[in-house]
Amino acid sequence: MEFALEARQLKKQYQDKLALKGLNLQIEPGEIFCLLGQNGAGKSTTINLFLGFITPTSGAAYINGLEVATNQLKVKEYLAYIPENVMLYPNLTGLENLTLFSSLAGFDYSPESLMQYLIEAGLPSEAATRKVGAYSKGMRQKVGIAIAVAKHARVLLLDEPTSGLDPKASNEFSDLLLKLSGQGTAIFMATHDIFRAKEVGTRVGIMREGELVDVLSTTDLNANELENLYLNYMHA
Amino acid sequence: MVKSIAQKEFISTLRDRRFVVLSVLVLLLLLAATVVGLYSSHTLQQEREVAQEEVNHQFHNSADRHPHRMAHYGSFAFRPKSTLSFLDFGLDSFTGASVFMEAHKQNSANFSQAQQSSSLIRFGEMTVAFVLQMLMPLLIIFLCFGAFTQEKETGTLKILLSQGVSLSQIAWAKIAGYSKTVALVVTPALLLAGGLLFGQNGLDLQPDTLWRLLLFMAFYLMYFFIFIVLSVVVSALHQRSSTSLVTLLGIWILCCVIIPKASANLGNTLYTTPTKAQMDADVHEEVAKGIDGHNSQDSRAEALKKDLLRKYGVDSVSQLLVNVDGIIMAVGEEQSTKVYREHFEKLTGTFQKQNRISELAAFLNPYLAVRHLSMGMAGSDFPHYLHFQNKAEEYRYHLAQGLNHIQATRLKYKDKTTRLSSDTWKEFKPFTYETPPVQWALRHHLLSLTALVLWLGLVCTVGMRVINKTQIV
Repeated sequence: MEFALEARQLKKQYQDKLALKGLNLQIEPGEIFCLLGQNGAGKSTTINLFLGFITPTSGAAYINGLEVATNQLKVKEYLAYIPENVMLYPNLTGLENLTLFSSLAGFDYSPESLMQYLIEAGLPSEAATRKVGAYSKGMRQKVGIAIAVAKHARVLLLDEPTSGLDPKASNEFSDLLLKLSGQGTAIFMATHDIFRAKEVGTRVGIMREGELVDVLSTTDLNANELENLYLNYMHA
Repeated sequence: MVKSIAQKEFISTLRDRRFVVLSVLVLLLLLAATVVGLYSSHTLQQEREVAQEEVNHQFHNSADRHPHRMAHYGSFAFRPKSTLSFLDFGLDSFTGASVFMEAHKQNSANFSQAQQSSSLIRFGEMTVAFVLQMLMPLLIIFLCFGAFTQEKETGTLKILLSQGVSLSQIAWAKIAGYSKTVALVVTPALLLAGGLLFGQNGLDLQPDTLWRLLLFMAFYLMYFFIFIVLSVVVSALHQRSSTSLVTLLGIWILCCVIIPKASANLGNTLYTTPTKAQMDADVHEEVAKGIDGHNSQDSRAEALKKDLLRKYGVDSVSQLLVNVDGIIMAVGEEQSTKVYREHFEKLTGTFQKQNRISELAAFLNPYLAVRHLSMGMAGSDFPHYLHFQNKAEEYRYHLAQGLNHIQATRLKYKDKTTRLSSDTWKEFKPFTYETPPVQWALRHHLLSLTALVLWLGLVCTVGMRVINKTQIV
């Protein structure tokens, strides 16, 4: 079968450091893969390689069986991306931001259905017509989610999406991920939140200095065991 | 796709209070410069028309005089302001407004505004051209410096790209959005200029003037577009807005201040112009070698007389059918004019070489290209000034020779007392001047036009290639 997300011997060498040392990974549709690791371990590099923002030194990243580096625009049709801190255009309202981004993805929604996406993402409806400049981080994150959901992407790439969110927002976010995964979306999430990873993830990967040192199924362990394992790897 | 990003840039800019204040200021400056420029050039034009009519009237109604005396009284040619010179004063403030046209002497235009005003004029004038050439690029830089850097700093560039848009699509969309914003600032002023011009001239507006106005606007729009694309490209090359802004301001200083000044100085050093005193002395010395019409003992005049006697087979000059005094005057005039024209051509040749340096510098700098084209379309550049000077000199020569002809045919030899009535002077048509057509003006600025078009092509091709290689993370 075709994997939603695949990395084959994916390597990225910067001038002074090897950021990613030959990553091999397959993620199936509907799967939530959580990538744990310290800052600088290579999590963001992996996501940027999947997004095609940087070109691999060797190996290749695939989305829906298409090589990212040679199908830059085509693969974007299948994926959505939510960065750690969703910064939008502060002079536009939440609704205008969503309108802009979904029209860029080639969608032509009515204002009502766009509003619906925002409300489903958890944004209060009266906030949707205010300028994003006055939004909290959580509210911006919700617009980011609405942008991703409105795209109906088969692959969702998340770079520490819950950092800085309050527990309630974080919890709502998890529910949303589970809902999307139920619809067959493959989710690749880099995170520091071990408990959240255990809760929503199907599999958890641990990355250290550009190397994927372990991949575990979340059904095998509880959150405490996972944390101990993680700390063990980090101290090693 | 492109449309929605362009629209976003446009709306965001309009909602940015800092930019709105800045644009309104520039727009007000533009409107003020248009109105003030039109008013002052209208006043100048009327003054000159009145003065020209006055001197024509005086000439035609002069007291009864000897024709050569009349030639010494001479006449004046006032340079009419070209219709569009209110948009760009160009050299007009520094070149003379009137030429005194007399026998034996070729005067250059005198009484420039700069001569008659305080030193304030040296600080540059508030003209439409000044605002368009110097301030608009600054406004464009403030508008566009963050085009890509801001998106990189906030990370929106990644979200944009993840939606399936390419870098060059984003760049073109931004350029379109910024162009719309710039048009919002410039259009009211250009419409006002056009409207006032129509209001003043009504339907008499010459098609030539209309063409000049349209080309004037077209050249500026090209110029703004070059700056917009350039700013977006520079923004794409940088990671931080602050460094992008500093780079762009550096480019502005280089283009609008340093290169123009340096190229003018270089031209001056490479091709030195003689001082006016030196040139006058040279002309005088050379003319002195020819016939002096006022010296009856002049040996070359004697030789000329002998030639005439031999040619027509008579014994004395009084037997000639024409007055030999008039002939001698005419030959003297011809010689001195020839000498003067040679020197004048050499001088203008030097000026043109100096200008050529700054025209070539336009290939380094779109500001110089648009400056030359703007002056050319407004009719306030050096070629237009020269055109007027030559027409005035032509008229002067024909006036002097016409009067010499009258002396030769209607007066007797050695007759210095006969006075001709003012009816004689009415035979001379008054001096009129027509600004040359727009094709003529364009022909003198082919180099600048090429430079501007080249810049446009360059930023659009090379610039976009650079943008496609932008580092995203």
